[in-house]
Amino acid sequence: MLDDKYHADRAVGTMQDSKITAKNVQVFYGDTHAIKDVNVEIADKTVTAFIGPSGCGKSTFLRCLNRMNDTIDICRVEGDILIDDEDIYDPRVDPVQLRAKVGMVFQKPNPFPKSIYDNVAYGPKIHGLAKTKADLDEIVESSLRKAALWNEAKDRLHQPGTGMSGGQQQRLCIARAIATAPEILLMDEPCSALDPIATAQVEELIDELRQSFSVVIVTHSMQQAARVSQKTAFFHLGNLVEFDDTDKIFTNPQDPRTESYISGRIG
Amino acid sequence: MTLETADITPPATPSGKGKSLLTQDARTKKRNAAEIRFKAYGIAALAFSILFLAMLLFAIVRNGVPAFTQTFVTIEVELPADVLDKNGNRDIDDIKKVSTFGYNPLIQDALVAATADIETEVADGDLKKMLSSSAGATVRNAVIANPDLIGQTVEFELLASSRVDGYMKGRVVREDLARDRNLDAAHLDIVDALSQTGGVTRKFNWDFILGADASESRPEQAGMGVAMLGSVFMMLVVLLLSLPIGVAASIYLEEFAPQNWITDLIEVNISNLAAVPSIVFGILGLAVFIQFAHLPQSAPLVGGLTLTLMTLPTIVISTRASLKAVPPSIRSAALGVGASEMQTVFHHVLPLAMPGILTGTIIGLAQALGETAPLLLIGMVGYIASNYPDGIASGFLDPNSAMPAQIFEWAKRADPAYYERAWGGIIILLVFLMTMNIIAIILRRRFERRW
Repeated sequence: MLDDKYHADRAVGTMQDSKITAKNVQVFYGDTHAIKDVNVEIADKTVTAFIGPSGCGKSTFLRCLNRMNDTIDICRVEGDILIDDEDIYDPRVDPVQLRAKVGMVFQKPNPFPKSIYDNVAYGPKIHGLAKTKADLDEIVESSLRKAALWNEAKDRLHQPGTGMSGGQQQRLCIARAIATAPEILLMDEPCSALDPIATAQVEELIDELRQSFSVVIVTHSMQQAARVSQKTAFFHLGNLVEFDDTDKIFTNPQDPRTESYISGRIG
Repeated sequence: MTLETADITPPATPSGKGKSLLTQDARTKKRNAAEIRFKAYGIAALAFSILFLAMLLFAIVRNGVPAFTQTFVTIEVELPADVLDKNGNRDIDDIKKVSTFGYNPLIQDALVAATADIETEVADGDLKKMLSSSAGATVRNAVIANPDLIGQTVEFELLASSRVDGYMKGRVVREDLARDRNLDAAHLDIVDALSQTGGVTRKFNWDFILGADASESRPEQAGMGVAMLGSVFMMLVVLLLSLPIGVAASIYLEEFAPQNWITDLIEVNISNLAAVPSIVFGILGLAVFIQFAHLPQSAPLVGGLTLTLMTLPTIVISTRASLKAVPPSIRSAALGVGASEMQTVFHHVLPLAMPGILTGTIIGLAQALGETAPLLLIGMVGYIASNYPDGIASGFLDPNSAMPAQIFEWAKRADPAYYERAWGGIIILLVFLMTMNIIAIILRRRFERRW
């Protein structure tokens, strides 16, 4: 425990320009203490990877950042999570507005059973981001371009999104998430259902998205974390064990648990 | 298991390479035999159910189809002005003063004229036993509808009595008539003679499908139409109330309500309500809608309200099941782009659950359509001498029956002619139900989407 504190504090010390600040975050599922006292600062316009063995709480923590855990009755979150210095668990915060600002991409591609166009246009529509049809068309096109899907999708905009390949579907979900002009993009193992080629495309995309968003990605694959992220956080049994520059985590980890994990001895 | 047996039993093949794959060992043989037996049971069960279905359909068609045809007697009735319109000014009120009894002598004269060539011992006054007692009313209605007929001789197709009709359909034989004071065997000779010249014919009877119920003594006149309208009005009430209430309740319970002992209790009770005998709902309807709320007795509105109570659990259960079947990833996706919980439900979850909801609703409606027991208690079973309702309001509020209640009513009447009509009524009811099922299938196909 003491070790965790030390590393977390040290990580905060090296941060500049932080977008998300988590202080003493605890998450409970009923009686289970799923996240234990996590402190982390996530910088703007960087890719931060959460790694760790299954059940270590990395996805749970990710879902706290846009309050997706609100939908689970037995889930309780304590501590402070600040985005741009505003507490997102403040009673005045409407999760709907929060989720427009913090977009999310899920593990399994989950396009709506609607057309490609409607998938991307849905978010802007419900948030009133487009006043005219032309505006909406523009948002759809630019989102699909940013998601590197425009060339494949432009001729079939009104065909069902569920008819695309897995990799295309996941990029469609990314386009859908960025269509609401979020500032932060959360990705929960976005490539775990994809083949290597689709994975490479999505990783390339994540690197480009870094220009405009702060990206937080949960991944099982350490190679992926090493490829796409600038910062890496290692979770183990609900603790944030170590958080530092990706290079440092993979070459010179401070905590023995991190070292065992990246060398494949635990997890 | 396989490993153990392999250890115990020596290899079967002489080469010593282990068991041959070409011969089945005892275990496999046993397993295959069990499989074949199970398949045989299934086929036998299926064959049984198909056999019973075929028997049911055969019985219904054989007994029910004759109800759709009816025997008519064609006679030329003279409509003398001095009897029907004494003042001679064709005033409709004066014409109406002549009752149906006033028409009976005219019909008797016409019958005598029609049978003039036939040698018979039947007295002139008894000839009218061949006709339905509704004959007078039929002629009178025609005259009132068109007073210009007065003074002419007009050809009428009048309903034959149920005995004559039964004779034409082979249900009544001469021996039966010895103890029957409604008709004599001599009448049948006349019928035989007339049917050769085309005076007595059997043809399709729209009035059975479209007409109103008739009193116990006139089965030949009874029809299903008014009861059918009663059923339609009841179904309207059931649909308009149970679909929105049931779907709204399910959405709340499934998507919004917190999971605690209260919602658990509600859930258990809804499941129990679906299994409550329908007559319990009938007595509840009687107590609440008639005795407490003072709604009119025998009215389709009350019937519909009572059946709504009965249908709601079915709709709630099927709607909740189809909401549960929507993949959670769709909910996450919608919430993830910032849709509110209500937008998530109405934009994404509900459309995907729609086929299931519609199927459940139509099954519930079909159940309600075929329900008789609750109607017993709110006065919708019995001879309800009703005509077509005058409008929408009277359709809901005037005393009426319903199709299954009408069938029940016919089945318990004494005259064997009603037995045939009960079977015929079943055919109409089944056609109704089949139509609803086809609509359900079409709606399902239309709303079904893959994801």
